[in-house]
Amino acid sequence: MTKIPEVWIFAEHQQNQIEPTVLQLISKAQAIAPTFKVVAVLLEAPDQQLEQTLAAYGPDQILAVKQSQLEQVADVEQAMILQQLVQARQPNSFLFGATALGRSLAPRLQAKLQTGLTADCLDLYFEDELLVQVKPSYGDNIMCEITCPERRPQMATVRPNTFAAVPVEADQVCQEIEVLTDLTWPKVAHFDILNEQVIPTPPASLAQADRIVALGRGAADPASVATARQLTAALNAQLGVTRPLTDDPQFAVSNQIGQSGQTVAPELLFCCGISGAVQFLTGITQAQTVVAINSDAQAAIFGVADYGFVGDAKAFMTALNHALLAKNA
Amino acid sequence: MKIVVCLKQVPETNQVKLDPVTHNLIRQGLAGRINPFDRHAVQAALDLKAQVGGEVIVLSMGPNDNEYCLREGLAMGADRAILLSARAFAGSDTLATGYTLSQAIRKIGAVDLAFFGRQAVDADTGQVGPIVAEFLGWPQLTLASQLTWTDQGLQGVRRLGALAQTLAVPLPAVVTATRELNDPGYLQPRQIKAGFQQPILTWNEVDLEADPARLGVAGSPTVVRKILAPQTKTVPTQYLNPDPQAAVAELLTALQAKNLL
Ligand SMILES: Cc1cc2nc3c(=O)[nH]c(=O)nc-3n(C[C@H](O)[C@H](O)[C@H](O)COP(=O)(O)OP(=O)(O)OC[C@H]3O[C@@H](n4cnc5c(N)ncnc54)[C@H](O)[C@@H]3O)c2cc1C
Ligand SMILES: Cc1cc2nc3c(=O)[nH]c(=O)nc-3n(C[C@H](O)[C@H](O)[C@H](O)COP(=O)(O)OP(=O)(O)OC[C@H]3O[C@@H](n4cnc5c(N)ncnc54)[C@H](O)[C@@H]3O)c2cc1C
Repeated sequence: MTKIPEVWIFAEHQQNQIEPTVLQLISKAQAIAPTFKVVAVLLEAPDQQLEQTLAAYGPDQILAVKQSQLEQVADVEQAMILQQLVQARQPNSFLFGATALGRSLAPRLQAKLQTGLTADCLDLYFEDELLVQVKPSYGDNIMCEITCPERRPQMATVRPNTFAAVPVEADQVCQEIEVLTDLTWPKVAHFDILNEQVIPTPPASLAQADRIVALGRGAADPASVATARQLTAALNAQLGVTRPLTDDPQFAVSNQIGQSGQTVAPELLFCCGISGAVQFLTGITQAQTVVAINSDAQAAIFGVADYGFVGDAKAFMTALNHALLAKNA
Repeated sequence: MKIVVCLKQVPETNQVKLDPVTHNLIRQGLAGRINPFDRHAVQAALDLKAQVGGEVIVLSMGPNDNEYCLREGLAMGADRAILLSARAFAGSDTLATGYTLSQAIRKIGAVDLAFFGRQAVDADTGQVGPIVAEFLGWPQLTLASQLTWTDQGLQGVRRLGALAQTLAVPLPAVVTATRELNDPGYLQPRQIKAGFQQPILTWNEVDLEADPARLGVAGSPTVVRKILAPQTKTVPTQYLNPDPQAAVAELLTALQAKNLL
């Protein structure tokens, strides 16, 4: 019998938390490769238990390397460990989050394995055992499909928050956990970590927010911004803006949605006074429910909206604030 | 210190269009420029040289036209420029590009540090720096946002999400530069003029003693099989009552039904 093809996912973590993209990739891999074996590959220190987080998302297997050297480890060393695992088990494909670490580690591993790597994918699907990788280029102005027809594994980094992470039912939680504790790897030149510091970030970043109220130039006056801030408080939402609003010092790129800002994936997104330029729209393709408020009935934003209000943004936000106050009272 | 800075030439604008019939990229009128991140890489190399002395060499792989980005590197203050240009290099993906550049760095010899941009603004992979590091067997510091030279050697800072790591990097090493690293400023006309007066050395695959199977299309495992315009979701929009109060009431009912509020 031929071996079942395996899709591997690198289970990046930081501060003892699994990177959310990893869980998104586990769900996506199950959806696009139901007959393949989905394997989460975890490198952790002996006192860590991150396999439990992974198991709830139902990979077929968790392959955990648990060794004390992994308390502090350079990218280059992680690449060497992964190379060993890949060469021993020959997965069909290997997916990474397109995070700072994923984008450092994956190409290093690619070069060791002399295979192909597609960067920053926005979609993935299989044609038999061929992984078709859809990625943007020229700053998201075009999309291309890339394949790696001959070499294995097929490698890709995938943009964070592109897919939804879906926990599985209790009876589908991963039971197959293989733990390796005695890997060795050669000593090579690598950096030493002198210091690590967590830079405080706002409570929930835009990229992670479930609800977002986004403002454009049609809702940029101080009164509208103040009304929007009340609305975010009432909805427990984050405030986002289009690029022109980042000229205002109260907004930074971390508040900006779109191609040169943040990619967001909220359940609920209000777009107030936003025209719907392509560079903005590429940042919201994963929003589940979009409400557009714009005084121009022809505005492009209505093309992606589930609900549309043609009229003044401030008047709408004010009415919504009142209604929410009344509802919560 | 001998420092190499790798420069990619990218189109002047990212506003590329697809030919509606052939679905090919319309490249006409796309003048080249240096990849913006690579200017920060050159500046970082020049700053280090100012501190410890040595030589800064700019290196680019591409058609003869890539001379332009090398001239910009020279204008900024690099000491010399090498262009890797040959038919055999055409169609390289990141693996083949990384191999070719690593062979050139070997040939230059005794290099202490190779700088790259964090990523190129056209294909946007950011893979070439780490691939070169692997082929040379050097450590890598990607996404450097600070860099200092101390008695202990090179130290840099990179951000991994919310975590800022300060790293000590033994040489020789690869560093990829972010915008936060420095401010390269604008070029003066006399610098640009000086950049155009320097010779540029050209190497081909024979000069690099490269394995032909690892170059260009032959050495590239990935295939770009289709180019598409970006998709935006089109959904039927449910328009709300034109009166704000009525609209809000309608919306809240709908959102509650979907368990969104
Ligand atoms: C390389 C590049 C990258 C870019 N990256 C980004 C990015 O990441 N994010 C981004 O957002 N943009 C980006 N842009 C800019 C983008 O092209 C648009 O210019 C921008 O998104 C427009 O912002 P806007 O919708 O707020 O403004 P406008 O396009 O000016 O739209 C304002 C809208 O408000 C409506 N309006 C006016 N008054 C009212 C009112 N009283 N009530 C309700 N509606 C009203 C108008 O009808 C109009 O539709 C980028 C551009 C380039 C070239
Ligand atoms: C639409 C499109 C999509 C592509 N997607 C992929 C993909 O997903 N995977 C893949 O393997 N290949 C891909 N390629 C091929 C890739 O563009 C080339 O391999 C290219 O040579 C490397 O460019 P990059 O933008 O990936 O470089 P990056 O890795 O983003 O560049 C980082 C740095 O490396 C240096 N550098 C890069 N190229 C050169 C050069 N020619 N000369 C000197 N220094 C250089 C620069 O310092 C640059 O700042 C794609 C090409 C196109 C046209």
